[in-house]
Amino acid sequence: MSLALATLIYEWRRYLAAVIALAFSGLLILAQVGMFTGIVQAATATIDRSRAEIMVLPAKSESLINSGSNGLPRRLAPEMYLHPEVVQVASLDGSGGRWMNTPEAGEKQVTQWIQLDIVDPIPGAVTLPVDYPEEVRIALLEPFAAVIDRSAQARLGVTLNDKATINGKTVTIRAFLDGYPSINQPSVVVSRDTLRLLGMADVGEKVGPLMVQIKDPARAIQVRNDLNAVADGRYRAWTRQELAQANEGALMKEQIIGIMLGFSVFLGFLIGVGITSQTLRGAIMANIKEFASLRALGVSMGALRLIVLELSFWVGIVGLAATAVFTFLVSLLAKSAGLPMGFPIGWVIGVAILLLVISLASGLMSLGVLKKSQPADLLR
Amino acid sequence: MTSAPHRDDAIRATGLSKRFKTGRSYIEVLKSVDFDARHGDLTMVMGPSGSGKSTLVACLSGLLRPDEGQVQALDQDLWGLRTGKIDRFRLDHCGFIFQGFNLFSALTAVEQVTTVLKHTGLSKREARDRAVVSLEEVGLGHRLNQRPSELSGGEKQRVAIARALAKAPRLLFADEPTSALDGENGQIVIKLLQRAAKEHGAAVICVTHDPRLEAYADRIIHIEDGAILDDRRVTSGAHPAPHSHLIEA
Ligand SMILES: Nc1ncnc2c1ncn2[C@@H]1O[C@H](COP(=O)(O)OP(=O)(O)OP(=O)(O)O)[C@@H](O)[C@H]1O
Ligand SMILES: [Mg+2]
Repeated sequence: MSLALATLIYEWRRYLAAVIALAFSGLLILAQVGMFTGIVQAATATIDRSRAEIMVLPAKSESLINSGSNGLPRRLAPEMYLHPEVVQVASLDGSGGRWMNTPEAGEKQVTQWIQLDIVDPIPGAVTLPVDYPEEVRIALLEPFAAVIDRSAQARLGVTLNDKATINGKTVTIRAFLDGYPSINQPSVVVSRDTLRLLGMADVGEKVGPLMVQIKDPARAIQVRNDLNAVADGRYRAWTRQELAQANEGALMKEQIIGIMLGFSVFLGFLIGVGITSQTLRGAIMANIKEFASLRALGVSMGALRLIVLELSFWVGIVGLAATAVFTFLVSLLAKSAGLPMGFPIGWVIGVAILLLVISLASGLMSLGVLKKSQPADLLR
Repeated sequence: MTSAPHRDDAIRATGLSKRFKTGRSYIEVLKSVDFDARHGDLTMVMGPSGSGKSTLVACLSGLLRPDEGQVQALDQDLWGLRTGKIDRFRLDHCGFIFQGFNLFSALTAVEQVTTVLKHTGLSKREARDRAVVSLEEVGLGHRLNQRPSELSGGEKQRVAIARALAKAPRLLFADEPTSALDGENGQIVIKLLQRAAKEHGAAVICVTHDPRLEAYADRIIHIEDGAILDDRRVTSGAHPAPHSHLIEA
């Protein structure tokens, strides 16, 4: 085992402050990213878990987030079937609405803006998420039936078989979903027919994004290319993964979120470098005589610097592990509070690199202390 | 005050001077000292506190640049070398034993030794083998995997000696190596130094206050107030030379 690693393990208490500082720097960023991604994933969960390998959006849309209202001509849907591999096409529908529960005596009146999502409760429908239980599907066949995530009951002020109104029309909660929690606006799912009965369906010339199921999911990229080749500026086809990433990216690009994250990165860097470099300095000072004895025996200053940098690298690795543990615990906590988090791999890698940069920068900053390792001082 | 050149000379210093600034004045710690030491000899440097013993050793070993004078070490002009080359010289040829043991608390006895050996370009395996041999030589074959916190003071100093000797240095410098130890452990340590001189032919230069160690010396040099007062050979020398010469009084 190398000197750096052995020292880190044996004197781990000395490095605890640095490790925790790194972990909090990482957590500061990842928790926010996790939350924002969680919001996006919750908002698009119904699509992400559908059978639609391909989504067709208006040509200028860059994601589903804040992309404005429906913009595809209605006649586009049948045109998709011209591609021999397309099996099913359905338009995405739904909108925002005002929710009011019907409180019984002693209950609170809840008025709340909700996101209304639709599915087609037909076995194998492209809009029907694959993880919907059969009883949910059957429940949605009933006119004016609505389902919500189990965790949204309190916020929406309803339980099973309770009635509530959406934009003044009455619906009944007929089943619960699991795994569809939402952080900001609660989402309520109804069937396409119910949406029409509520008077909220798209009836004009324009419809929402198209969900497209194809024969072989593995050929999604090819089919997407085929569709785009004949789009002629009228639409753009995306693979589902592509769109999911674009959705996550779109939120991060929101100015205020970008500023928050940028500030967190900056703060994390400052705090991380500040504490880690001080910790490393202290650790080097504590071993300065030992380092000096190595100098006396002819070990070069360069070699000692490498030892310090190696040490800072390992501190970074341990800090990374601590970040993973902290972030995992926070995400568990958040999940249990109905706030699922998502961690895009790009951000996770970015934070990992940031932490290693912080620890190596700290190592570089503490190299100066090595000058105090004067072997002549050992001769007195 | 030095002897004539000798074929066993390991180190030969001439006109070494060293001043330190204290406040506004300078104190002259070494006053044009001439010094030599031979392979196979345990050369002891004795003298009152503050007389410049440690400073002399630092100048001889490439740790502290003298203000004036020259050091010929193993036929090289030590202070004529570039800094990096001096490091390399120490790595290749010098061992050090200090009053404090200066062992890394995180490392086991073997690791203390291999950490240095690794820098000499030995492979991990070779370094470990050499470290074990070296530790066995100082009688710590049964303490290979102990950390300093689990070793006695004498054992710690023996680890430090093993660390210094594992490189098979031609020059071995020791500054008060026994002063933190009791008499018995002091004896063990001085015998190890003596063996380094006798069996490995190193030039051992040992600074000490302890009159009990005199019995192990081949040569005793007294230094006082930065100048050599007395230099006497107490044995006939490890390598009795045919042209045995007289030491200047
Ligand atoms: N770096 C330094 N700066 C200033 N003065 C120093 C320095 N190093 C040594 N001295 C002074 O030089 C003198 C000789 O020091 P040195 O350490 O060589 O003595 P010594 O003979 O080894 O003494 P001791 O037996 O107490 O170890 C002392 O008066 C000391 O105060
Ligand atoms: Mg001294």
